[in-house]
Amino acid sequence: MEYEITMPILSDTMDKGKLIKWYVKEGQYVKEGDKIAEVESDKAIMDIQTFKSGIVKKLLVKEGEEVPVKSVIAIIETKSQEETQKEKPKKETNEKTLKQSKIKSTKNIQIPPQIMNLPKGSASPLAKKLASKYNIDIEELQKKDLLPTPAHEKDIKEFILKRYFTPAALKLIKEYEIDENEFKLDHKITKEEVLNYTKQINIPKLTPLTPNQKAVIKTVEKAWSKPTYLIFDEIEVTKPKGIKLTAILIKALSLAMQKNPLTRSILKDDKLLTYPTSNISVAVSRDDGLYMCVIKNAEDKTLEEINEWLKTIKTKKLTIEDLSGSTFGISNLGMFNVKRFTALINDKDSGIAAFGKLIDEKIKVTFNFDHRILNGVDAAKFVNDFKEILKEIK
Amino acid sequence: MLYREALNRAIDECMAEDESVVILGEDVGRYGGSYRVTEGLISKYGEKRVIDTPIAELSIVGNAIGMAIAGLRPIAEIMTVNFSLLAMDQIINHAAKLRYMSGGKITIPLTIRMPGGVSRQLAAQHSENYETIYSSIPGLIVLTASNATYAYYALKWAIKSNDPVIFLEHELLYPMEMDFREVKDFNPFRAEVVKEGKDLTILTYLKMRYDVLEAEKELREKGIDAEIIDLNSLRPLDIETIANSIKKTKKCVIVEEDHKTGGMGAEIVAQIMENCFYDLDAPVLRIAGEDVPIPYNRKLELASIPTPDKIVEKILKWKAENGI
Repeated sequence: MEYEITMPILSDTMDKGKLIKWYVKEGQYVKEGDKIAEVESDKAIMDIQTFKSGIVKKLLVKEGEEVPVKSVIAIIETKSQEETQKEKPKKETNEKTLKQSKIKSTKNIQIPPQIMNLPKGSASPLAKKLASKYNIDIEELQKKDLLPTPAHEKDIKEFILKRYFTPAALKLIKEYEIDENEFKLDHKITKEEVLNYTKQINIPKLTPLTPNQKAVIKTVEKAWSKPTYLIFDEIEVTKPKGIKLTAILIKALSLAMQKNPLTRSILKDDKLLTYPTSNISVAVSRDDGLYMCVIKNAEDKTLEEINEWLKTIKTKKLTIEDLSGSTFGISNLGMFNVKRFTALINDKDSGIAAFGKLIDEKIKVTFNFDHRILNGVDAAKFVNDFKEILKEIK
Repeated sequence: MLYREALNRAIDECMAEDESVVILGEDVGRYGGSYRVTEGLISKYGEKRVIDTPIAELSIVGNAIGMAIAGLRPIAEIMTVNFSLLAMDQIINHAAKLRYMSGGKITIPLTIRMPGGVSRQLAAQHSENYETIYSSIPGLIVLTASNATYAYYALKWAIKSNDPVIFLEHELLYPMEMDFREVKDFNPFRAEVVKEGKDLTILTYLKMRYDVLEAEKELREKGIDAEIIDLNSLRPLDIETIANSIKKTKKCVIVEEDHKTGGMGAEIVAQIMENCFYDLDAPVLRIAGEDVPIPYNRKLELASIPTPDKIVEKILKWKAENGI
């Protein structure tokens, strides 16, 4: 028997209805009371249900299409599921085949409406259900040791992923956190396909922040909240052969710091802590991130020693000692052809000097000072001392 | 709020609201109740409504049924569920069946409150859980109150219900200080999702709720995100909430204090099989009391029932054995 479902009259003014969405597919078994479609009247969106059970024989309206009320939108073949099954030639039913009618149904609990042809082998019910959906022969794979015994959902999922994704593609969908079901699983999906998909939908690649990145964020955010001011200047410097420019700048800063105690000071609990040594935090760009590495007693070190320190600190395994105890900072972007820039004060430092590119023996420098520690006059004196000392260093 | 105070408040409010509500049992009056649940009620409502009875459980329930038939709303307190065995004929053959036998002409608005479970060294004859027996009787509603909020609302609901309710309490809960929260649209038959999780579902009720919560802390440290459900109502069982959770977590553990064989867990497993077999990725694990009379010796007593340590250990072993 054919049972026709028509576009219902949902309001007294409705003469046409728009089919928004089909909940069912052709060939699907539906039970009396199942929702089959969502339709829109002139007033509201509502679900249509079927009043008879059977197989959906034909869906006559496309999603998005508008049709007059009472026109037929779907045809249900009301023969029972078993009868329909019997008519299909040579449909095998083994003891593992479960019939819908035999499964006790409880309200609101969805039971798969299809007949389940579960694979043999040792696996959890959920794993078998999943395997049957993708025609995976659990028993055969277990014989070949390609699946563990018993197999669980995760094993089958893993197998499906390996079957349908190249290793590179698999890595990508994990990186982008894309659900594998976004792809049509009927062929081997390549890296290019996944990349194409990410472009289409514009999916961002997720990279968790490293501890270093998190630390940098914390430090710069803290620096931003400090009351600071800038001093712009230009220095003259002659670069000796075999010595990094930064080494000379560190040396000159350390000596200037000796003359200016406030640059050797930090604030702590309503006290000014003034240290005797010139410990300078140096912005070092390493393979594992940006670090403010601290050179201790720079005033006592020779240029060669500072130069050596700058080399080893690039690759050495950093300890907490290497990253703490400074009172002033330095950052140099001259080697990257930057003419002038400003830097943020590191941690508790009293200030930082940012150096640009060496052009005609001149470098543009920006000092950034913590106003709570140094006033403008103190800073000016420090800058002048630094410039004087620099002239003497050869 | 103390657990026993929540029960007291529920009874007190019902008695103040409705003159037909009476309470009867051993020591419920002058003594104030073995666990102080009925404290202060006799001075407020008098000995005609707060009735001290002889030590005769059959007569307590029998009298209560008579009162219920005659139009009162009795609350019968049985000192412990262990003694309810003496009242079994009245509970099963009369309270549960009179409405059916009379074709609906008689209703039994009766609440039978019973503390039970393994307390501290009360020995084999005073430490039983009989929820499985009552949950198998058509005609009875079986509620278990693990916390002050549910205890208060569910007991009020039970007293007002026109059908007999077996209201189970746990002896170790009475002096416990608990959070109380206002509940709108209270439904006594709804299980409570105590904690949401994604890795496995733990079903429990009564005092085991607290052992599970304790165990959950350690499971969390081991990276296992468990969903904890307090069943609240054992008959009817909220299989819908259970099934929805299993659909999500795909794994289920039942923790019960009662003996394993033929226990509540056995029934729950059967219902899970009927309703969500194909959502399961592992066999359901039952963590239950041993199949022995509860020992008096404290160490042996604890060895005979689930404890937080044992719950963690068994879940980890089960996970390892099943490769999940």
